[in-house]
Amino acid sequence: MDNNRRPLLEMRDISKRFFGVPVLDRVSLDLYAGEVLALLGENGAGKSTLIKILNGDYQKDGGDIYLDGELVTLREPRDAEAHGIRMIYQELHYAPDLSVAENLLLGHLPRRGPFVDWKAVDDIARKYLALLKVNIPPRALMRDLSVVEREIVEIVKALAIQARIIVMDEPTAALAPREVDILFEIIRNLQAQNVAIIYISHRLDEIPRIANRVTILRDGKHIATRPIEDLDTREIAQLMVGRKMTERSRKTAPAAGEPVLRLERLTRPGDFEDISLTVGRGEIVGIFGLLGAGHGRLTRAIFGADTYQSGQIFINGTPVTIRSPRDARRAGIGFVPIDRKVQGLVLDMTVRENVTLANWGQLSRMGWFRRRLERANTQKWVDRLGIRMAGGVETRTRYLSGGNQQKVVLARWLEAGVKVLILNEPTWGVDVGARADIYEQLEALAAQGLAILIVSSDIQEVLSVSHRILTMHKGRISAEFSRADASEERLLQAAAGGEA
Amino acid sequence: MNRIESAPLPVPRGRQAATTISLAATFLILVVFFAWRSPNFLTAINLVNLASTLAIVGIVAIGETLVLITGGVDISVGAVAALAGVVTSVLLLNYGWPSIWLCALAALIAGTIVGLTNGLLITRFKINPLIATLGAYSIARGLAFVLSGGQTNLLNDPGFQFLGRGAIAGIPFSLLLMLLLYALFWVVLNHTPFGRNLYAIGSNREAARLSGIRVNRHLLVVYAVTGLLSALGGLINVSQLASSAPRSAVGLEFTVIAAVVLGGTSLSGGKGSLVGTFIGVIILRILDNGLTLLNISSFWQDVARGTVLLLAVGFDQIRQRWSEREARRGQ
Repeated sequence: MDNNRRPLLEMRDISKRFFGVPVLDRVSLDLYAGEVLALLGENGAGKSTLIKILNGDYQKDGGDIYLDGELVTLREPRDAEAHGIRMIYQELHYAPDLSVAENLLLGHLPRRGPFVDWKAVDDIARKYLALLKVNIPPRALMRDLSVVEREIVEIVKALAIQARIIVMDEPTAALAPREVDILFEIIRNLQAQNVAIIYISHRLDEIPRIANRVTILRDGKHIATRPIEDLDTREIAQLMVGRKMTERSRKTAPAAGEPVLRLERLTRPGDFEDISLTVGRGEIVGIFGLLGAGHGRLTRAIFGADTYQSGQIFINGTPVTIRSPRDARRAGIGFVPIDRKVQGLVLDMTVRENVTLANWGQLSRMGWFRRRLERANTQKWVDRLGIRMAGGVETRTRYLSGGNQQKVVLARWLEAGVKVLILNEPTWGVDVGARADIYEQLEALAAQGLAILIVSSDIQEVLSVSHRILTMHKGRISAEFSRADASEERLLQAAAGGEA
Repeated sequence: MNRIESAPLPVPRGRQAATTISLAATFLILVVFFAWRSPNFLTAINLVNLASTLAIVGIVAIGETLVLITGGVDISVGAVAALAGVVTSVLLLNYGWPSIWLCALAALIAGTIVGLTNGLLITRFKINPLIATLGAYSIARGLAFVLSGGQTNLLNDPGFQFLGRGAIAGIPFSLLLMLLLYALFWVVLNHTPFGRNLYAIGSNREAARLSGIRVNRHLLVVYAVTGLLSALGGLINVSQLASSAPRSAVGLEFTVIAAVVLGGTSLSGGKGSLVGTFIGVIILRILDNGLTLLNISSFWQDVARGTVLLLAVGFDQIRQRWSEREARRGQ
């Protein structure tokens, strides 16, 4: 990187407070054309706030933003866009009822006279889709695409409006390894065209592959900005967390107790077939599969959120019929879904209300809430799981960071006293520090006798937390490993359909 | 499996088309049934009569369709229509304005102002559209009574009656006006950035905003247009009845919303078409007309209308869930 050039973007001493709480404290960042700057920090470090200020979503309380050396004012996303700044948010923003092509050109539909030029819409969409070698038909409706395809459309969209600065918030969180490669290919093409990229990710291992420099934030403050060559992932993690991290020890797995959850030939043709497995008392079983292997759908079926066609579920050796989440809860099964914001939490309810949501029966007496008991129980879980929030148990969960939101979902099922906990991609979009924390909590819960089934496409996650690992390939279980036998290569091979 | 490397998707225009087809089928069934049961149904006189009653509901339903596509709702349309009629007659009779057309223009402006107010309440003060337009409904209806003193006023200006009763080459003028407006707004919805943005706003408001679409400005225009079209519907009503009454167009909002929803427009926004609304309006009018010809009481007509609405929408929901399940299996 030629540091003598003037930066394309300079953010100087940016400050921001929410409800009096400082979120950013004089943070500076600069960005040069054609580089990838990794913006790193734990959840709550202020990354999201910083990029929302850059996008005109939030107004800064102090500091200046310069583009090409000129002071700019960014009052709304339109302003940012006019300056060639483009966000790709972690939660994808798209119109499900419109076509891919229309979504690509949303707000910029080409016209002929007063009318939309549909031929141009098609042509432009095709051109940009082809640029990324993506085979998504431009006329397909967004709602009919898979999550991955939707994300790719978002990325193409940034290309289509010829952004000079593209901010990517966790772009690989939902991607399989092969798709990450495709994305990186695209990012390198963007760089070659002198586009500058701010890259936010919690997957530290991918940072050296793609970033030129890193800027690290912690607790709303700027900690360091260095060329990537000067840091390894371990040092990055240390700067982010601000304390020495110890490698999670891979102890031998504790012996599992008697089976709590048992599946026998659970089948829904096309999604998952012939799934038989057991999870014992105090055991953490991980299911690893590449995206679309059917493991996510399996969890939804066990919890009654989707159906299964044949097979049997046993709890403590007794066959149970599960047709709805209510049945599952009665049987003692808790479920932490992949998309906590949509499926897991009521964002506008408080932490207390979310924690006690599945357990109102016990916390009320003759229809009245026993508010004090409710608070006490919530506080207990907040303390035990280390849920951090600004305003106590009455904070709306909307304002919590991803890791803390996930812990609230966890707390709900613990409060409801479940015997089996099923987690689907439990740390998707959760930062390293909170991740390790959640793993430790799960470990502790298992030690107290909970049976835990974790389903994930993140190989590190499955390896570090599971006592026993199953792999799924095309809807079937393809292999089983003990903790001692499992390795990254063996899991990947089994999940990809090769011989274990 | 994800589809990135596999065969491309078929173009899913089918869903919208299927709604239109099931609507057209309902339409045909009704026509055949009434033609069979009543010899008067397929006569020229009845058809002209039927056609001349389409315009009021039809024109107001255009605005309602736009509103529903953005994910909102406007229940003030009937009250605005009544207010427009009263404004016209009061300006002409009590204030002695020289021309009824000038009064009608003022009425259209009044309707637009109510619509703009709705839009402002919804965008600036973040009031839920149902509540905002419920308030507007009550205010507009109340003003209609205040201004008219509760009186029905006769307005038999021959020139003005052309609006509601005139015909060109045997086709009712109001119907022609309505067809023209449908054509105009169909082009706006399908072939202008403004129209497409309405779908985007209804489908995902945040996505639209982040794409640089001025969401609030679009909503303001949509509610203002709905106010304008409601007032126009009110004027046609006055012209047809040759009188204005503060009590007129009661329940219009129900008929209009029913027609729009029957036409496949989603109450949750993002989906809908004017072609569907057009057929929805015709189906409801045919139902009323046919049942009247069969001498069935208007009370039973209400029951029949509600039943058709629930059947059509319910059937559509089932079919949609079924096709989504199919799509999921295909992945």
